[in-house]
Amino acid sequence: MIELGIVDIREIIRLLQNNFNYDFSSLALTSFKYRLEHVIAKNNLNSAESLYRKLIDQPDFFSTFIHQVCVPSTEMFRDPSLWRWMRESYVPELDDKQLINFKIWLPYCVSGGELYSLAIFLKELDLLDKVKIYATSFSHKSIDYIKSGHYPFKKIEISQENYKRYKGTDEFVNYYKEDKYNAIRDTSLIKNVEFITDDFNFNNAPKNVKLILMRNVLIYFNPNHQDKVTKIIHENLSASGTFIIGLKEQIRTNTNGQTLFEPVNINESVYKRKIV
Amino acid sequence: MNYKAVIIGGSAGSFQIVTRILNSLPKTFPLPVLLCLHRLKHVRSGFVEALSLKSNIPVVEPCDKDQLKSGIAYLAPANYHMFIELANRVALSADEPVNHSRPSIDLSFITAANAYRDKLIGIILSGANRDGAFGLKKVADNGGVTLVQDPNESEVKTMPESVLKLTKVDYVYSADQIIRFLLKL
Repeated sequence: MIELGIVDIREIIRLLQNNFNYDFSSLALTSFKYRLEHVIAKNNLNSAESLYRKLIDQPDFFSTFIHQVCVPSTEMFRDPSLWRWMRESYVPELDDKQLINFKIWLPYCVSGGELYSLAIFLKELDLLDKVKIYATSFSHKSIDYIKSGHYPFKKIEISQENYKRYKGTDEFVNYYKEDKYNAIRDTSLIKNVEFITDDFNFNNAPKNVKLILMRNVLIYFNPNHQDKVTKIIHENLSASGTFIIGLKEQIRTNTNGQTLFEPVNINESVYKRKIV
Repeated sequence: MNYKAVIIGGSAGSFQIVTRILNSLPKTFPLPVLLCLHRLKHVRSGFVEALSLKSNIPVVEPCDKDQLKSGIAYLAPANYHMFIELANRVALSADEPVNHSRPSIDLSFITAANAYRDKLIGIILSGANRDGAFGLKKVADNGGVTLVQDPNESEVKTMPESVLKLTKVDYVYSADQIIRFLLKL
């Protein structure tokens, strides 16, 4: 795999800003560099220059580029204990009144792993038709990919193990179909999901959301942008709404020593919106 | 002394020597110690506690974007890649496993080599696959100091041997020699 220098990356960020009005400077540099190298390899390119050329000469490539540069979820039901906690402690607290206009938002969907996990989770609890799910992607290519249900074979085994550890009530194999060449997810799971196209500033975020599932997304932003996104999350959550991040992610305190969230279950990185 | 960090990679057979290293380092060890060791992805607790038992320096699993400090050992958390950012911070990633590994030793070593250039000490210990070989080569290419546990002494030789096949290292050392080297820093 070719390796990019810092100058190459700054140049790519400048090009994307100038030609596509898309700001990639908010991403964490090291993982962005790694993803760019991945995109270059995946498209049989051999340098930063060849990537600029492709972006400029083939305007359609831009949405593919975003889809490929964003990190996909690599397994479903990652951290099964979080899903068990949601089933055993979070969902039982929701009464009928709270379930009115219950919005759930996934702010970063690339391959759909987390979205399909959530849909299965809700379906098994008979909640899938009672809530409204919003899924944000940064490229319509990602949305097409998720809607197609395409499910790479190599990701199935680990997801199946996670689902067993979660102790789901069905069999994982019932959620996809496979033949010799492909596995396709049960796309009826996401038929009522509303997809939103946005950029890293989340201007199209849904309002008054009761649950935001954003695990291992903040890690791909730099510290400044993490703070900005955390504020956006706070603004779009309903009063005492729930915010779930990845196990090794953290919400930093702001300069006044305040935090926008309080922990609900620190072991599983579950937080609740604080009124500030 | 001119170094900024020590990075250590290992898998099968490395636990004991990592424990010995941590047990030998003084509380005032002047560098951050980055540990990238293969581990079970779904077992998230226990490892850092086990390493802490006999360690003289604190052993932590960093959160994303934590600042690295001297005299602390940072263990790559289960099911994340641990990158080192230019600003002396950890950056975690849930990207695809590399050579079936997450954390990937190669990715930790490559990013640390880019961040610290010739101010990095890279050490590969006993292990059962070739993860880490490319990473240590990168440390060498960037002018850092490279050490490999002597394959004849390693419980599992594959990892140190793959390093030696790929690149010329500065020192092929026994566990005792590795510890003596670190104590001179």
